[in-house]
Amino acid sequence: MFKKILIANRGEIALRVIRACRDLQIESVAVFSEADRDSLHVILADEAHYIGPAPSKESYLNVDKIVEVCKKAKVDAVHPGYGFLSENEDFCARLKEEGITFIGPSPECIALMGDKIQAKKTMQKAGVPTVPGSDGHVKDVAEAKEIVKKVGYPVLIKAAAGGGGKGMRLVTKEAELESAFRSAQNEARNFFADDTVYIERYIQAPKHIEIQVFGDTHGNVVHLYDRECSIQRRHQKIIEESPSPSVPQEVRQKMGEIAVKAAKAIGYYSAGTFEFILDNVTKEFFFMEMNTRLQVEHPVTEMVCGVDLVQEQIFVAAKQKLSWKQEDIRQRGHAIEARICAEDPITFAPNPGLIRRCRHPQGPFIRVDSYAYPNFEVPIHYDPMVGKLIAWGDTREEAIRRLSRALDEFTLSGIKTNIPLHKSILEQPKFLDGSYTTQFIEKDFGDLKDIFSRVDDRVFLISAAIEAYNYHKDRGSWKANEKPSRWAVSGRNRSLRTTEF
Amino acid sequence: MNFQAKLKGKDYFISVTEELRTWNVCLQEKGKQAELHEIPKENFKRMDQAISFLFEDSSYMIDVVGEGTQYTVYTRGSYREIPLFNDESLLHESLKGGGVVGTSDTLKAGMPGKITDVFVSAGQKVDAGQPLLIMEAMKMENEMKASHACVIKDVKVQKGDSVESGAILIQFEQAE
Repeated sequence: MFKKILIANRGEIALRVIRACRDLQIESVAVFSEADRDSLHVILADEAHYIGPAPSKESYLNVDKIVEVCKKAKVDAVHPGYGFLSENEDFCARLKEEGITFIGPSPECIALMGDKIQAKKTMQKAGVPTVPGSDGHVKDVAEAKEIVKKVGYPVLIKAAAGGGGKGMRLVTKEAELESAFRSAQNEARNFFADDTVYIERYIQAPKHIEIQVFGDTHGNVVHLYDRECSIQRRHQKIIEESPSPSVPQEVRQKMGEIAVKAAKAIGYYSAGTFEFILDNVTKEFFFMEMNTRLQVEHPVTEMVCGVDLVQEQIFVAAKQKLSWKQEDIRQRGHAIEARICAEDPITFAPNPGLIRRCRHPQGPFIRVDSYAYPNFEVPIHYDPMVGKLIAWGDTREEAIRRLSRALDEFTLSGIKTNIPLHKSILEQPKFLDGSYTTQFIEKDFGDLKDIFSRVDDRVFLISAAIEAYNYHKDRGSWKANEKPSRWAVSGRNRSLRTTEF
Repeated sequence: MNFQAKLKGKDYFISVTEELRTWNVCLQEKGKQAELHEIPKENFKRMDQAISFLFEDSSYMIDVVGEGTQYTVYTRGSYREIPLFNDESLLHESLKGGGVVGTSDTLKAGMPGKITDVFVSAGQKVDAGQPLLIMEAMKMENEMKASHACVIKDVKVQKGDSVESGAILIQFEQAE
């Protein structure tokens, strides 16, 4: 087993890895940029080494510098967390050269899945379903009919040169196909001077469902079931849950089996995630991409499956066999995670800055992975996510209620966070019945300004007014409705630079 | 001290008076009934980095960030951004814009100061932008100009007068 692990990351995920090291009695080494001198991972690790200026390129992405620290601190292994160097095959290969273990998959797997076209082809070969459609251009209506026979309705006819919905037609039945095909072609010709079109299955009510897989270096692979991550803003997940409320058990089983088969086909080891798009009407699923790293939302899987994924990554990196067989893995209850981000809950613009008050929620079945603490300044240089709040329940409803309770207890002041948004999402009918899709925030959420309806406005107004009064009083402003003392008037007059005596 | 506040597109008038043991806060949403809150000071208690506010039988841990005219108030996992203007800050705003403070028929001092010059007299017609008087306040000379053409009804101050915040300086004839 390793004696010392360097964590090539920052923020809450660095804390997560430090904690796994502590649990295994392995020494942890943190690295930090200029902006992170006071960051929590620096404080909690056994050792902390400075690696450069604030911009990621000069610090957390600086391979040479990190390798230098690895040698200086004499570490056996490096955990990359997520983001930064976690899916960088060059970093992975470089560590190998230096005789240091990379806690993650092989550089070959990282490279293969990093190339999205290559990844899709590999998955198709391994029998993983991808979004069906024409392989290339469709030249006429007859060919279109042939293709749609295979693909199945509904389909989208898209202009090859298209964009902004121009030259795009949704076809739901055969009777519409001919006219839709011709009008798509015409529109494509008129807008892009190019009438080549292609056909793709139209995904109704799209949902983001992913399967957690885990492999070892002895050829064993298991899956740890699904997570649903359809609640997204700016194409980034903000709420994740496991199991998905929309995946029937037999579909879940099938997804897991396919993911295991695909992982075996590429000789995958360590933690990995297959991301699928699910058609919530037909319950068909199609491969989108594979993430060759630990995911932000891994805690929901840990909570429902009762496993420690980071610890297991360390075991597998040390060439141990997987701790579990497939039949050991069961989903028990339900877990939901809310990402707490320093951002405006309406515009989603990042809002880093000084945290004044900070109190994390407590109580039964709550997990908080957060690097926020009072008087810490969230740096502007990195991701706005400051932490994750995860709740477990016997049922989905119970998990939602507990998450909601914990959100109520979460105190973070000085910076804007998306906590009000989360609380509001948990009350939306489409979230509660599980029918939400990846378009939830844009389409189903209604008026975002409603998220500020929760606490009595008068509390805010009165508090602000008393504090404004104190501010003006301290600065010596006078009340308009009172006669001033003559001493004050005389003193003030003297302080004015006039020439009168 | 009187404030004008804005929240969720609504205008509020808030008056704060400090007594020895209470805060008297009169809160009025524009067009609605005013409500008076007598808040014992022990119910609005400053603690380390927070204010413990007992309001209508609920306790709130409040954090107010801001100064001048812009405040952000945090409590119970939510927050509000509230612009708050008192008479003085309204004057500052108006000076920034080159206009004057007050309604269309009076010019008021937005802060305490000293009148260093008066350019107009009762009955005089003035054009928009024409200087009316100079007031020295916060070690700065502020030239107050007419925001629109009008007739001076009365000049309440003379050169050399000291005035308090809110004092009426000039009255205008009502526009027809």
